[in-house]
Amino acid sequence: MSLLEIKDLHAGFDTTEIVKGVTLTINAGEVHAIMGPNGSGKSTLSKVLAGHPSYEVTQGSITYNGQNLLEMDAEERALAGVFLGFQYPVEIPGVNNAEFLRMAYNAKLVKQGKDEVDPLDFDEILDEKMKMVGMDKKYKDRFLNEGFSGGEKKKNEILQMAVLDPKLTILDETDSGLDIDALKEVAQGVNKLTSENNALIMITHYQRLLNYIEPQFVHVFSGGKIVKSGGKELAHELEAQGYDWVTAPAK
Amino acid sequence: MSESAVKKTEAPETAVLELHKKFLEGGQAKASLRAINQAGIERFKLLKFPHKKHEMYTFVNTNELAGTSFELATDSPVDTAWVQSQVYPSCKNSVAVFVNGAFQENLSDLSGLGDTFKMQCLSEADDEVKQTLLDCLEDENDVFAAINSAFVHHGALIDIPAKAVFESPVQLLYISTGSASTPATSHPRLVVRLGETAELKMIVAYAGTRENYFVNAVNDFIIKDGAGVNYTQVQKDDAESWHCSKTRVQLHRDARFYGRNGSSGSRLTRHHYEMRLKEEGAELHLSGASVLANQDQVHNFIRIHHEAPHCNSDQLFKNVIDDKGRSSIDGTVIVNKGAQLTNSDQLINNLMLSDEAHSDNKPNLMIFADDVKCTHGTTVGQINEDQLFYLKTRGLSSELAKSLLTTSFVSSLIQTIPFPDVVADLNDILLKKLEAKHA
Repeated sequence: MSLLEIKDLHAGFDTTEIVKGVTLTINAGEVHAIMGPNGSGKSTLSKVLAGHPSYEVTQGSITYNGQNLLEMDAEERALAGVFLGFQYPVEIPGVNNAEFLRMAYNAKLVKQGKDEVDPLDFDEILDEKMKMVGMDKKYKDRFLNEGFSGGEKKKNEILQMAVLDPKLTILDETDSGLDIDALKEVAQGVNKLTSENNALIMITHYQRLLNYIEPQFVHVFSGGKIVKSGGKELAHELEAQGYDWVTAPAK
Repeated sequence: MSESAVKKTEAPETAVLELHKKFLEGGQAKASLRAINQAGIERFKLLKFPHKKHEMYTFVNTNELAGTSFELATDSPVDTAWVQSQVYPSCKNSVAVFVNGAFQENLSDLSGLGDTFKMQCLSEADDEVKQTLLDCLEDENDVFAAINSAFVHHGALIDIPAKAVFESPVQLLYISTGSASTPATSHPRLVVRLGETAELKMIVAYAGTRENYFVNAVNDFIIKDGAGVNYTQVQKDDAESWHCSKTRVQLHRDARFYGRNGSSGSRLTRHHYEMRLKEEGAELHLSGASVLANQDQVHNFIRIHHEAPHCNSDQLFKNVIDDKGRSSIDGTVIVNKGAQLTNSDQLINNLMLSDEAHSDNKPNLMIFADDVKCTHGTTVGQINEDQLFYLKTRGLSSELAKSLLTTSFVSSLIQTIPFPDVVADLNDILLKKLEAKHA
């Protein structure tokens, strides 16, 4: 059984259709990259996968681990192991970062029928995960994402990924706005977290992230559809020649 | 107009005048404060209780308060253990307790502050202080502050000499006992004067032991050159009470006032701020958080006067309003001609949790100088959908996510209070109020 099966997915916002017929199968242990020009519908696909209430699916199906994903609420999807790394992580002043991470961690434990961990025990877990993703401990006591630099916000997303240990991770433009040092650190963190048991979808506009996290599959997104799929060499061709040569026929 | 209608419109003022007559004859009044009492009642006669369309009271209905006949609250016994529970642990040796406005020596302990900390009865104040109080009355526009002056008799004066620095905070605890039979009123008065480069940290808390009272406080701060006050006001009166407090601050050269307020509201809670940045380099921070449920009401009336160049002021207010709660803020920053290079910011955020919650906001700027930087803004909104979605994608349930967002809205402000005991207390009072609602 595949981890994720998207079949002829059509989705949009209000009455505008943005995703116009996407079919994609992802198995555990795979890393996929979805590339494409701005406005091609990549981010909409990620929000539909995570269960954003503002987006409406008008046609098609998504099966995750044998379950109908579209019938699940955003928090059910999260508890079932779907994780979205946001393009723009939301700032929440007043919510302590470490406390938030513990709440999320405990929500998952409760779902699994286990006991919650107390702040002291969680602190040890958190220290280890922060070390893994190269994040300074001072960010534990800060308000969630408030005043974080672009790089720290993205690292905090990877930290959440590390804490929640998802089966399916979608990273939406995780590389955008990062300098090369921050990009390397984020990529190293992600690489430590990928395994035979989970899958990763990277959504990106640029090829450079793929130098540090190697995908087995690259899909080119244009006009709300996958217009070309291939191996990692496709990313190099896109970088050298731009998107026009693949997207032109679709127009 | 019929005779009864005439009676009705006259009645509220008459009740106050009669009470004042009783006060002067009854022996509570102090001879040395007689001039202030007299000036206060004259000012009251001129101002009268506000009518519905009075500009200053557009957002608050004071009819119920003005229409209630109050007796002057007298010294009443209070439960000592309960009083102790209201003292912040870090202020055990730096607390002054007042019951219905009167200082309680047996319940207070100021030993931790040393000899330089001087508190005395206002009736023993020097002429400078008394003259300041009289001067304030000449252009007093807040009728409740005028009433306070009319009845002032056991106010307190804290006089901090130049260069004195107090590292730990002093707590002033104002307890209203109410009355079983008739509604009772008290008029606490506090004058704080800081000499040059002195520093004071202060927590003023208002609490009640029974419902049906009106506490009408006025707190005056005279802050001399280079001196600073770090001030936090906690309003946790009984829900069935009325609370008016006026905070009047005069900031001299390079003086600072950092004021914070946490309010749980009541039938009517009105905070009136009159802040004057009188000389160059003065700095003012003012912030307030309120959590209102049931029919709680809080009104903030703020006037910040920039009277000199190179002064900074900023304001941040956050209100969470549930049920039929009402919050209103009428805030104006006035930058005088010549007050160049003023920096002033004002932000008011409201979070509405029910269809019947009510919020009125009137941020306002009056600028008569031509080289200043001033901002103001207000938001009124519900729970942010993007934040809610973000938390849900991490596996938090809708209920938990909503409660987290609501509490974080005010706790981001409460956490900035530099006194951990107060932060804990406000979290307890304000946030539990929300939790109780959504449990």
